[in-house]
Parts: sequence; C-alpha cells; structure tokens
Amino acid sequence: MLQRLIFERIEQRILVGTLSFLAIMVLVGWIAINEGGRMQAFETQYLARSIERGAYLYMANCSTCHGTDGLGGAGRAPALNSPYLFGHDYLADLNREQSGLEREKLNSATTPERITEIDARLAAIETERQTRLNALSAATQTPGDYDPTAPSRLSNLGWAGSLRSFLLTTLIHGRPNSIQYWGGNQMVAWGQLAGGPLRTDQLEDLTNFILNWDKGDAWTTDDALAVRQWPISVVDVALAGPPRETIAPAGTDPATLDLAAINAEVANFQGDPQNGQTLYNGTLGCAGCHMQAAVAPPTEGTWTRVTVNRSALTGLEPTEYLVHSILYPGEFLAPGEPYIPGTYPNAMLPNYSERLTYQELADLIAYLQTQDQEVPGL
Amino acid sequence: MSVLPFPSFLDDVKEKGFKKAVFEGANEVVERLTAGMNIQDIREALRGEAPSRKPNPRLQPHADGFWLHMRPSYFHKSVTGIYPEFRLGWLSTYFVVFETITGIFLMVWYTPSPEVAYANMINIMASVPLGQFMRDLHRLGAEAMVLIVTLHMLRTFFTASYKKPRQFTWFTGVILLGLTLFLSFSGYLLPWDQLALWAVTIGASMVEAAPPEIVGQNLNLLLRGGPEIGANGLLRFYLLHVLAVPALLFIFTGVHYYKVVVHGHSLPPREENIGEDTAKRVPLDKRVYFIPDILTSEIMWIGVTTLILVVLCTWFFHAPLEAHADPQDTPLGTTAPWYFLWVQGALKLGDKVFWGIIFPTIALGFLAVMPYLDLTPSRRWAHRRTALTVCFLMISATTVLSYMGLAEFGVRLAGDTEILHEMMMPPAHNHMGKLLPVPFDQLTPGIYTTRQFEAEAGQESAAVAAFNQEILDNGRAQLAIAQLGVDHLELSAINTSVIPSDAEDLEKALHFFADRLVAYEHELQDAWGLVVVTEVQPGLRRLDAVIVWHQVEFENGRVVFGSDGEPVLLVGEDGQPVTRVSTDHIFIHEDAQYFAAPGS
Repeated sequence: MLQRLIFERIEQRILVGTLSFLAIMVLVGWIAINEGGRMQAFETQYLARSIERGAYLYMANCSTCHGTDGLGGAGRAPALNSPYLFGHDYLADLNREQSGLEREKLNSATTPERITEIDARLAAIETERQTRLNALSAATQTPGDYDPTAPSRLSNLGWAGSLRSFLLTTLIHGRPNSIQYWGGNQMVAWGQLAGGPLRTDQLEDLTNFILNWDKGDAWTTDDALAVRQWPISVVDVALAGPPRETIAPAGTDPATLDLAAINAEVANFQGDPQNGQTLYNGTLGCAGCHMQAAVAPPTEGTWTRVTVNRSALTGLEPTEYLVHSILYPGEFLAPGEPYIPGTYPNAMLPNYSERLTYQELADLIAYLQTQDQEVPGL
Repeated sequence: MSVLPFPSFLDDVKEKGFKKAVFEGANEVVERLTAGMNIQDIREALRGEAPSRKPNPRLQPHADGFWLHMRPSYFHKSVTGIYPEFRLGWLSTYFVVFETITGIFLMVWYTPSPEVAYANMINIMASVPLGQFMRDLHRLGAEAMVLIVTLHMLRTFFTASYKKPRQFTWFTGVILLGLTLFLSFSGYLLPWDQLALWAVTIGASMVEAAPPEIVGQNLNLLLRGGPEIGANGLLRFYLLHVLAVPALLFIFTGVHYYKVVVHGHSLPPREENIGEDTAKRVPLDKRVYFIPDILTSEIMWIGVTTLILVVLCTWFFHAPLEAHADPQDTPLGTTAPWYFLWVQGALKLGDKVFWGIIFPTIALGFLAVMPYLDLTPSRRWAHRRTALTVCFLMISATTVLSYMGLAEFGVRLAGDTEILHEMMMPPAHNHMGKLLPVPFDQLTPGIYTTRQFEAEAGQESAAVAAFNQEILDNGRAQLAIAQLGVDHLELSAINTSVIPSDAEDLEKALHFFADRLVAYEHELQDAWGLVVVTEVQPGLRRLDAVIVWHQVEFENGRVVFGSDGEPVLLVGEDGQPVTRVSTDHIFIHEDAQYFAAPGS
C-alpha cells in the first residue's frame, strides 16, 4: 500500500519530501531558539557535577590537613572555608558609611548642625566597630594571622588575580616553602603540570568545590570563630635566619641617628672591598641607580668627588661623608644638584641603618674608596 | 547597432522586450546549470508528464553533466520499489555525506589533545549554539550508518545479488563495512571521556594480541603511539578518523558504485531465469527514468531519514559524555560499542589471540570471499538452503556473542562491590546508581537502614530503634564507623532513623538496596545496609552506602554450603564469625540534575 501510495506517484513523493524538509527546518529552528536556555542549564549542571567530583578529590587528598569541613587543621594547614580566604570584610558597611560622612564633614557647604549630627554618628560607628572587633577577637586568638581590619587574604598577599586563579595556581604548584612554617608539613605540588598527581581538570573541579564554600555577604561571626587555623603570614622566608645586629632597629627615623657615634664605631671595622662590591651591585642593588647620572651620581669617581669636593663643603672626613650619605640620604645636598630636601632624592631609601650591620657598612665604604677615577669637569 | 560595443543582454532587451529577454536569459542559465534541461523541461518532469521535445532533454544531464555522469539514466521498474533495495545503498552513501557535514562542524570546535579535548566537548555543549545538536546528529548518524550498511549487506545476501558477475562489488562492500565500523569506532576516542578511553583501550589491546607477538606489540604501539593511549594515540585516532579512513571510504565508495553501474542493479530473483543476468537489458516498457522518478524518490528518502534523525536528536537521543578520561580509574562494566559486542563476547570464551583476533579475522575474511566460494548459479531461496542456513547461523551466533559481550554476562563481582556499584555508579551506558536521581530535597541529612523494610507496616520506628540498640551492642556499629572514617567521614555514633514519609524516591532506592541484599543472601550473611546523608556545603550533600555482613567460606569463587544446606560462615581466630564492612560514597549537588534513564 505504501508502495502504491507514495512510491509510484511522483506528486506524493514530492509532497512527502517537501514536508520532511519543512519539518526539519521547523525542528532545527525550535532547537535553535531554545539553545540559550539549554546552554545555561548545561553550564549549571556541569558546575554542579564538577563540584561533586571536586568534593570527592578533596576528601581523598586534602581533608587530612585542611579538615573535612575545610576549617583548617591546627598547626597543619589553614582554613579554606573561611571569611578570610574569600575576603569578607565584617566592617565594610561601617567603613563605607564612615568615609562618606567624613567627606561630607569636610565639605564647606555642610552646616554646623549637620556636623554635630555627623560627629554623633561617627562616634556610634566607632562603638559599633569596637563591638564587632570584640566579637571577632576570639577568632583572632586562633593560631595563624587574622586581622579583621585587613580582611582580604589576597590583598595581604599582594595577589592581583582572581581568587579562582589563586586557588588553581596554588593547587598546581603547592607551597614549596611551607615546610618551614607548617611544622614539617608541606603543601606539595598537586598539578601534573608541576610534577604532581592530578590533572588540570581535576584541579579545576577542586577549585570549584573550594569556591562553593563562599557565602558571599552571609558570612557570620560564628564562621570566623569556627576556624581552627588561620594562614600564617610569612614575611620573607628566604631571609629568615638568626636575628641580625643592624646599626639601628627597624623603624628608626634617620634624622634621629647619632651619626657621630656611628662614625666612631665604623672606624673599628676593617672593610672588605670585595664584599662591599657584592653588596653594592647585588644584595642592596645600589648600582641599579648609581649608573646613570640623570638618576643618581654615578659610581665611578665617587671617592674622587668626595675627597676633592664634598667633604670640604660639609667639613666632614670623606668616610664620614659617605656614612652620612648612606644612612641619612637627605642630609646634605651638593651645590648645583637640583635636589630639594625631603622630596626628590628620597628615591634613595632612608632605611639603610636598619638593613646594614657595621661590618657591611665598612665593606661598602671600602668598596667606594676604590672608585677613585678621574672625574671630568669636577 | 549594439547598445554596448559588444553583443549583450541589453541588446536582447531592446530587441525582444524586457520580460521576454529576462525569461530567455533565465531559461538559458537553468539549462546550463542542469547541463541540458530548461525550465519547461523541469516543470514537465516534476509534473510527471512526458518530455515535450526531442531528443529527450532528461537524458542530457547524464551525458553532459558531472554530477549525474555516474548515475544510470534509467532503472528497471522492478528495482525502484521498496523491495528489493529498500534504498539501503543510497542511504549508506547519504550517511557518508551527512557524517562529513556534521563532522566538519564539530572539527571547527575540536583540538586533538588530551589537555583540551574534553574541555572542547564541554565548550561544544555549553557555549556553541546547536553544538549539542550537531554532536548528537553526528553520533546518532554514525550508529545509524553502521546499522544501514549492515542491513544493506544482509539485503544483498538475501537477494543473492553477490553472485556472478557481482562478486567484486560484494568484496568492496565488505571493505566498506569494515571501514564504516572503524570510522565509527575511531570517533569513540575523540571526546576523551571515560567511555572513549576504555572502549578504545579494549580495542587496542585486541590489536596487541595479534600473532606473532612482535607484530601485535608493534601494531599496538603504532596505533596507540605509546604503551598507553595518550597524546600521540589521540592524535593518531583523530587523523585516522578525519583523514585516512574517510579517504579510503571515498575511494572504495567510488569503486563499489562504479561496479554497481557497470553490472546494473540486480533484479529480484524471481524475474530472471536461473543463471541469467538481465539487469543491463531493460525493455523499453520497463524503464523508469532517473529524472524525474529516481531523483525525487532519492531526495524524499533523504528528507524522511534526516527528519527521523532530527526528531530522535530533539527528544530521544543525546550523545553520551562521561567523566574525563582517567587511565588510573577503570570503571566497572566497560563495554565495547554495540557493533563490537560480539567480539567482546567471543573474548569471554577463552584465548585472547584466538577469539579476539583469529576468529573475527576468519569471520570477516569469510564474508569477503563468500561470493567466490558460493558458486551455485541460482538466486532463488529454495535452491540456497545451505547458504541461508549458514547465514542464519552466523546471525544467531553474532546475537548470542553480542549478548555475552554485555557487562551483565559472565563477569561476576563480589556481592558487596556489585551492590555498591548499583547504588552509586556514575552515569554510564544509560545506567546510573539508584541514589543519584533521588531529588535533592529528599536527601535529608540522617542515617537510614535497609532493616526498616523488614519491619511490618507501622512498626518501622520500633524496628529502627531496636536496630540501633542491636548494632551498638554487637559492636557492628563501631566497625562501620571505623570504615567510614577511612573514607574521611567523621561519625561519632550510628543512630538510624525512619526514612521521612515524603522522601518517596529515597525510600525506593533503599528498598532496592534491601532487595539486592536479599538477592545476595548466601554470599552476604546477616547483611544490612546503611545510607548516611551528610551536608558538606550548602547545596552539596554526601551519601555513604555501607554494607555490613558475615563473611562466608568461598571455594573456587563459590559459596561453600554446609550439610544443613546453609552457607558456612568464616570463623576468625577468636572463634566468632568474621564481620566485614564495605563502603562507598558519592556527592550530590542540588543542581546536578541526574535523571533516571527511561525504562530503567
């Protein structure tokens, strides 16, 4: 019957074929207009399943140190399920309101009555801030470093990228140095890219799982209190070692240095020009600026300039002049130099008294004494 | 005087008037494009009228045009109906084109590297409009092509069209079947998911079995590009899939079809005398011209077939995509594609070299040379009893072997592994664990037990309370807690509760769990199961399944029964029966959208 109805009659064949093609077009069109929703749904579903796989990987690989609940392991690893990692600022609303009010207060159009109001509100904000900080103070007692007034882990690390990229790259490379501050535990490299066991897609699953701890604006004080271990802020592991006997303690204002006493003390040390050169070109990086006359006096002929010219101007012995110039860079200005105290020459850091030992200072001077080349047009 | 300095269309307009000039110009263009048919000729052809001018313009495109030069200008009326051809050869050819077009679409979005291939798949699914649709069409088309080519072969066998003079046509057809199978199979690896990796690993390890050893090893190395399938293997399969095999396929399609044209389409056996071949001698009154009858018929078949594929891909079929390929993680129940299940089934019969290589080679080799072995002249069924018997035996054997190739057949795992797998397996081969599709809002955190189903209606809470006390007293709760701890689930006590009455799907899943424990009661003595639901993150819950049972004695993989007909319990050093605990866990996110496959 099908044979007689369709195959033997050309007009039926044309009809069936045409209707089929029309139906195909209608169906494809229908699929096409639904694609936006379908792709959205797929993405949601894929993220959900990625989180599930991430959870599986987390429990198997990470939970031993970071805890099954992500709250960290005391003395082992920091919390990931924490307001600090996600940069939640418990004081954000107060800070916003405070700075707005302070700006308004400075505005000349603000009436005295309004200023009185603002002051009252500012005082209330301060009280509220103290209340919140008190509530969080128990959390800051938890091991590790957490300061609710500097609430973003990423900002504190100076990380410019997103939290996702921070987590992913940390997973890939691990924390090669962490054995030094986590009591023998080290976060190893997990990515196959860096020699670890997991593929990149697995690390992405793990990242999705960790990011799923984010509560957005809903982080509560209890969440901070639940944390068992905060991250440890490591200043500079590479330089960590026995404390150094520097000329002055950290944070000393160079204007307050007793330069006469320092000069007397330096004289007791025998300088090593070789080591001085290493410090000058390497560790301290002096040569970085003192190589181009436009930025700073060039290294060549330093000793000549000092002996012929500078020490006479200041009435200091040449070595004393160098000591003063290194430890208190803004003290003297050579005539004709376009320096203005406290401004331009501050390109040279004023903190060498807290970075150098007496021996190192003597080494530097010994090295600079070798720079006795002719200085044209001095 | 011409309008332009050379004769042009404008002169025609001047001479004949605009309307006539345009019509004649269009007519001429159409006649050139069709290599001989003008608008009037096409109109007549489509109306089913006889051609109004001589020589017959409908033969002109065959003589002068490229596209039709290979097609016969007329067919015998007896081969133009549904029987005997079912248009299967034509549809096979169409699928080559169909797969090429959808394949090129997918190629645009694909990079053959293990680093990104799977991410490309996700991209095609998540960010490419019509991407999933094209992938579905390509995949379904591949499966349909295997089916249609196979049916085409069977049809050719049943009408005995392989007999003299068409033996070589059949031979090239078997090559085309092999190429189709390999094309379909080589496409399997490209998504770089678990399904791909393990199906191809099975295939490649069969190549490895090819004797002698040095040949097998090196073939395997050549195909995989290394001891394991990795970046090299993926690239090789990709190049085979998109370049080498299609090139061979196009060449053999050409040879095959050339032979069809040379020998003509064989007539239904009853229309010829035995030993005669009259396909090329078509009487005038039996001729059906290609234009318009065969052409419209072929286009209609394309339209209907494509519509069927589109309908299937709209509502019923989606190409599977499993988890990312992981050579470290062998999924349970890996199977070859359905058209290779017969090989997988044969492999379960014994020796890998014989059943995996020699047997399929003999089978395919026999198919290829069959026309040269079967020299009987008659094409009538009554005279082909031996051939038809062999054919049906081969079909039956293939069916049985394919069934044996299924994961369910032959390989039996330990009961606890099997049950945990059935409860928790990730979606694969149209199956998924019973717990996955349970709606998220029914997964209330808590601990639920299969013992609930042993209680009489209304007595559930009492039974559950008694169970809590029982496992606390006999220490089996502590064993389960310890085992869960190994899986990083911290639990201080096991305190089961009755499944909430509104959690129907959860209850069904646990009921299934209980039934399976009963099904394995000889192996898993005094067994009970738990499902522990815990919240990991907002919107993410963890499900642990636990089976606790008394170990029985095994001998040669079978349970040992005592004289009382009961299984013999394994007794530990302390004289007590050994208790075993087995656990597995999954995570369910509220947006994960697991849907049970229809009919499962």
